[in-house]
Amino acid sequence: MTNRREAWLFLFPGLALLVLGFILPIMRMLVLSVMGPDGVTFEHFARFFQDGYYPSILWRTVRLSLVITALTAAIGFPLAYITSRVGPQARLWLIVMVILPLMTSVVVRTFGWMVLLGRSGPLATMLREMGLVGRSFSLMHTESAIILGMVQVLLPFMVLSLLGVLTRLDPRLEEAARTMGCSFLQTIRRVVLPLSMPGVVAGSLLVFTLSASSFITPSLLGGARIEVLAGSIYKSVTQTLDWNFAAAQSVILFFGLALVLIPYLRLGARHG
Amino acid sequence: MSDLTLRQIKKSFGRTEVLHGIDLDIQSGEFVSLLGASGCGKTTLLRIIAGLERVSGGTVSIAGKDVTSLPPEKRDIAMMFQSYALLPHLTVAENVRFPLRMRGQGSREEQAERVVKALDTVQLAHLADRRIRQLSGGQQQRVALARAIVSSPQVLLLDEPLSNLDARLREEMQVELMEIHNKLGLTTIFVTHDQEEALSLSDRVVLLNDGQIEQQGSPRAIYSAPETGFASFFLGAANLLPVTVEDGPVARFADDQVLALPETQTERGERMLLLRQEDLKIVPADTDGALKARVAIRVFLGARHRYMLDLAGQRISLNAPNSVLVEPGDEVGLTIDPEQLRVLAR
Repeated sequence: MTNRREAWLFLFPGLALLVLGFILPIMRMLVLSVMGPDGVTFEHFARFFQDGYYPSILWRTVRLSLVITALTAAIGFPLAYITSRVGPQARLWLIVMVILPLMTSVVVRTFGWMVLLGRSGPLATMLREMGLVGRSFSLMHTESAIILGMVQVLLPFMVLSLLGVLTRLDPRLEEAARTMGCSFLQTIRRVVLPLSMPGVVAGSLLVFTLSASSFITPSLLGGARIEVLAGSIYKSVTQTLDWNFAAAQSVILFFGLALVLIPYLRLGARHG
Repeated sequence: MSDLTLRQIKKSFGRTEVLHGIDLDIQSGEFVSLLGASGCGKTTLLRIIAGLERVSGGTVSIAGKDVTSLPPEKRDIAMMFQSYALLPHLTVAENVRFPLRMRGQGSREEQAERVVKALDTVQLAHLADRRIRQLSGGQQQRVALARAIVSSPQVLLLDEPLSNLDARLREEMQVELMEIHNKLGLTTIFVTHDQEEALSLSDRVVLLNDGQIEQQGSPRAIYSAPETGFASFFLGAANLLPVTVEDGPVARFADDQVLALPETQTERGERMLLLRQEDLKIVPADTDGALKARVAIRVFLGARHRYMLDLAGQRISLNAPNSVLVEPGDEVGLTIDPEQLRVLAR
């Protein structure tokens, strides 16, 4: 191979960034998580599992992320399918509409949700006037608020992942299915969905990891009572200044995500 | 009893009308080819029969029932696509079983039996458990065919099924298609742009040109008696030359050469003369009554030569056996049996 040196040269910037910006910090995090005043210790991990408090935060993080992933998939799939099947002009507009929210900051969008969901916001007001809810009703600081806000933030990732697969899917396959007795919905279920699994897997991976590690939207919409792991890590770093415990929580989040990813990757490999 | 009836089928895409009122009756068990150049509307017509395309006007009836507004899954048809459209996430057997399953035909055991039978028909029973990706193009083509015939549809639609195969496989599949049609007797509509395919396979050829039926009839009839210049041009490797038909009757070419026409030719005036490649013979230039032409190009095709000749200011082509060997630039004579000449409107 005469291009070997060139290949390394090409690889270098990305590799350097990965080592400096990702691998070294992760190593540092691993070291911090087992560092105590008198050498190596697992007390930080022990503390995490000492009582039900932190495990409940972990469980909530995983549970919310799963719900968010499922919802973005359920909303994103029809949207992506329609986008992939309309004419080029309409497709462009739909893609712009999907991507547009990504062009404003997460913080701004989350504040928007706070206004919408708050006690005096339009949603609560409307429900109150219809007599469906009491005076103190507010969606703010609930898990539903977190889910709502996160689904909106993460929908583009799901749609774009699905779109990549769906636009490459031969529409003749759907026509063939129709001529073989499938109704439109059966075609979606028997042909389109199975064949777009790689996109579903990729999108779900993205959404799940992003929502499990996100902290701005959950902490703003969930408030102090409904904590997620990323928020708890943030608190340990900035408020209690317990970096070792923060590192231990990060390691748990990191490996927790890795555990979820493994079966997903398997699924992706099988369909790929 | 006719299996398929089309009445005044019209189709427009936007402002462009691509089908201008097609009437067609196809009898039970008939093998009909829709033949035409690309863009003539043949595939659109097939898709309309399948229900994949809505008509802009007219009606489609299958087995006496008006299905014009029914979606494809409610029509008793099967279609084989040019790209085969096999489902890549299923095995060969699952693909073939798919229409039976979706149409709810028979019990699980009966379906399995019919799948085996259909795969046997296309000689692929040994590959039943393969994935589609593991098959060659020819094998995929057979799977698609098995999948199309397995449900014994009222009408079998084939959309240029052979055009993605190499020449040898193509000939093999033509024979196989004929055998399957003879065996199962399915009413079949076959779309192709290849006139040889259409002529060799079908009971009836429907020649489409620019969204209209140009001519239809048995392969022999349509080949030997094309009614228009387009038909003769499309159906055979034919040469069309402008001539003036004069008393005699003779055809006078642009360079004043004349050729005797059969007595049955009664019309006079400006016409097109149809000279089929296989009817023309190259003879020495001084042969009595032969047309004079000059050899322009010679192409060696193995079993024969193809010649391009200049005749009366027009380029004509013909094939000659290897025993006839003339050089580019030579002046040669051309003879033709007057009975094989056809005179068409200009």
